[in-house]
Amino acid sequence: MSSAAFDAEAPPGTTKLAERPEVTSARRRRRLNLLSFAIMLLVWIAATGGAGFWTPVVDPVFFPSPLAVFEAFLRLIENGYQGRSLGHHLMMSLMRFGIAFGFCVTVGITVGLLMGMNETVQGLLDPPIEITRPIPKLALLPLLIIWFGIGELSKVIVIIMALFPLMSISAMQAVRGVSRRKIQAAYSLGATRWIVFWRVVLPASLPGIFTAIRLSLGVGVTMLVGAEMIATSNGIAWMALSAADFLLTDVVLVGVLMMAGLGYSLDQLARVIERRVVHWSGKDS
Amino acid sequence: MSIQPIDLFSAERRRSARVIVRGLEKEFGFGVAAVRAIDTLDLALGANDFLCVVGPSGCGKTTLLNVLAGFEAPSAGEVSLDGRQILAPGAERGVVFQQGALFSWYSVRDNIAFGPECAGKPRAEARDIADGYIEMVGLEGFGDRYPYELSGGMQQRVGIARALAADPDILLMDEPFAALDQQTRELLQEEIKRIWQETGKTILWITHSIEEALFLATHVLVMTARPGRIKASFTAGFAGETSHLVTTSEAFTAAKRTVLGLLREESIKAQRQEEVA
Repeated sequence: MSSAAFDAEAPPGTTKLAERPEVTSARRRRRLNLLSFAIMLLVWIAATGGAGFWTPVVDPVFFPSPLAVFEAFLRLIENGYQGRSLGHHLMMSLMRFGIAFGFCVTVGITVGLLMGMNETVQGLLDPPIEITRPIPKLALLPLLIIWFGIGELSKVIVIIMALFPLMSISAMQAVRGVSRRKIQAAYSLGATRWIVFWRVVLPASLPGIFTAIRLSLGVGVTMLVGAEMIATSNGIAWMALSAADFLLTDVVLVGVLMMAGLGYSLDQLARVIERRVVHWSGKDS
Repeated sequence: MSIQPIDLFSAERRRSARVIVRGLEKEFGFGVAAVRAIDTLDLALGANDFLCVVGPSGCGKTTLLNVLAGFEAPSAGEVSLDGRQILAPGAERGVVFQQGALFSWYSVRDNIAFGPECAGKPRAEARDIADGYIEMVGLEGFGDRYPYELSGGMQQRVGIARALAADPDILLMDEPFAALDQQTRELLQEEIKRIWQETGKTILWITHSIEEALFLATHVLVMTARPGRIKASFTAGFAGETSHLVTTSEAFTAAKRTVLGLLREESIKAQRQEEVA
């Protein structure tokens, strides 16, 4: 009540940034996010013996405490895993993901844009993309290894196969969804086809493309597990998988949490870039 | 000072015309599903003419505009500007839409500079031109804002400035003020008159408001229900008036009654068509 009365008296333009509803709601959401993380951690601590205060619900061999996982993490940083440093494993995973993701962002989105712009290209490329889309890509992994060998290529390709249709189809649909009026307006202002593409169709498609990029970050990190399942001896997902064979559950959890952290931070990064680049997203006039 | 019937395609008008529409027909679809939107329409538009087209909904007014803009090809007949046949959109024919046609990713200034830039003007010059039009439509201080930060009325000002900045010979306006509230609309109508007098552009203006048509236009065209033909055409004597107060005068009311009578017959027909369909 009192704050509403205060707001009414304040002259326009003097409201503090923090008091604007959209700012407070963003802050509120961040607080709830933190609270959610804290609850998850507390449940974990409670289930694993409350830091030594009571008997763990599950045997620590199967479900180690957060502290044990953290200690394993420090040990891995110091000694590495299976003769290679933790940084090396992380870099290998990032490289596989990065190459596949970079390929799909450049080639996949370009193909999608072309499909959206040109009926002929769409007619030719739609069937192969649509046919491969519903196939579970991990089922193809043994075949990919037969075709492309046990090296890095088959691992990168399996990630590409998962991300490519997502990116290209989203880019195509984004182009299709561009308002006809904006395109007509551009032509009436003297724009050539080239200008219409670069200055109207492409920017108007960006919000849709960014959504696809964020989706594919999550899918891509998940696909790492598949890519590092067979015929490799490095990478974060491989580390987790191989540690499970030795019942090193703390190492498994370090690997899992690192992948979760990787996916989460990549998504946050993409969000920041998205807000900068497509500031008009969702506010279209 | 009122309205007088006129033949918009008289020999005299054709001689001095910039825009000629001759025997225009437009059909959508094929065979039994074909819908006839426009049926043999003849029209001559001179320099500095301000023609308002009114008609019942679905009568093909927007189709006429789309053909003139070059967005749609005529099924028969021809349309030309200064003797050159209209085949595609072009900068010599500016279009202002009802809403949603601004480039959300560009600031107001960059939206307006788009036309000059397409014409090959250097960026700095295009921005200078844009600033001139920002002033003309009364948006000083809003050059760096984005369209989504503006009210509907201000967005329409940007749309008008953007079309004018490309320096077209004719402005085609598709119900540009239909989505605005009454007060904003009346103010913008007064301003568009001032801009029309300052720039001397030829304007074709689609509207469903008789009052708007009579207040703005030098010529008013009433279309029939689908398929669209010319029901009647008039010269309107209120184009010189600057204030909206004229709409309360007796002469204006009488003119409004005449046009309303014509339009009502067609609206009833149009409604029957919809019920049958």
